[in-house]
Amino acid sequence: MTAAPHTAPLETAQPETDQQSEFASAWVTIVHNDPVNLMTYVTWVFETYFGYPRAKAEKLMMDVHTKGRAVVSNGPRESMERDAESLQGYGLWATFEKDE
Amino acid sequence: MARAFLPEDGRYVALLDDTERFMIHGLMQQTRIVLSPEVEPTGDAFADVVASMGVSVASEDRAEDRAEHQGEERDPALDRLLPDAHRGDDAVAAEFRRLTEEGLRQRKSANLDVAMERLAAAANDEVALDESQAPAFLMALTDVRLLLGERMGMRTEEDAERLHAAMEVIDDDDPLGYAMAWYDFLTWLQETLTQALMDDV
Repeated sequence: MTAAPHTAPLETAQPETDQQSEFASAWVTIVHNDPVNLMTYVTWVFETYFGYPRAKAEKLMMDVHTKGRAVVSNGPRESMERDAESLQGYGLWATFEKDE
Repeated sequence: MARAFLPEDGRYVALLDDTERFMIHGLMQQTRIVLSPEVEPTGDAFADVVASMGVSVASEDRAEDRAEHQGEERDPALDRLLPDAHRGDDAVAAEFRRLTEEGLRQRKSANLDVAMERLAAAANDEVALDESQAPAFLMALTDVRLLLGERMGMRTEEDAERLHAAMEVIDDDDPLGYAMAWYDFLTWLQETLTQALMDDV
């Protein structure tokens, strides 16, 4: 499984105001709440797959749990498709969509 | 009587008796059948990748076949194990599925194979996982619980609450109670392995 490397470039791409890169980054990966996946396991997946620190992984997990869904990554469409596919591999209910 | 997964000399070890291993192995086998890839991995990575490329072309034909056989419903458990990746645009979801589903089926099946091998290799009730086997075992447990949950009608948090409440009044010989008991056992087992992995970080 891929880990940390691809999160850093995405996050540094965020604050750029250049139109081209804003357009390229305007997709998100979303994890939806489900009654089966464990809170600890979802946290472990966010840590393991994205390389997120424990606090960020737990915050995202709680957002999924309490709000029903959370944006877990953003970037170009290809990256979001890869994230959604990988998270589905872990058994999470992951989708990708254009950020609107 | 089961004992949780605990870290032990760089491995994760649980104690599961014959009945427990037999039940988990059987449920994993069942999940693997539901997921069964169109092309089984051969052990030769290159042959597998070529075969899966063939399948992603072939699955366009299969999609047409499916359209012709409207009566044949997709197993709802598959929609949970391999859910739509895009809500609101069926064409995008279908294209994503065409490109990713075979690979996902193969990876999930491979995880289940690793987990079943570890259960079969148990000695003195010890099920031992190394660093690479532990995540595979976790993902396999997730997929088994997703399948079992779907079969019991557990699709929302409300369903889960209703099912757990029903356990209080259910007859001893009701198969739903039996399924729920094993579901809860798997939940407990997965929780202990997740905790063991997270404590080790």
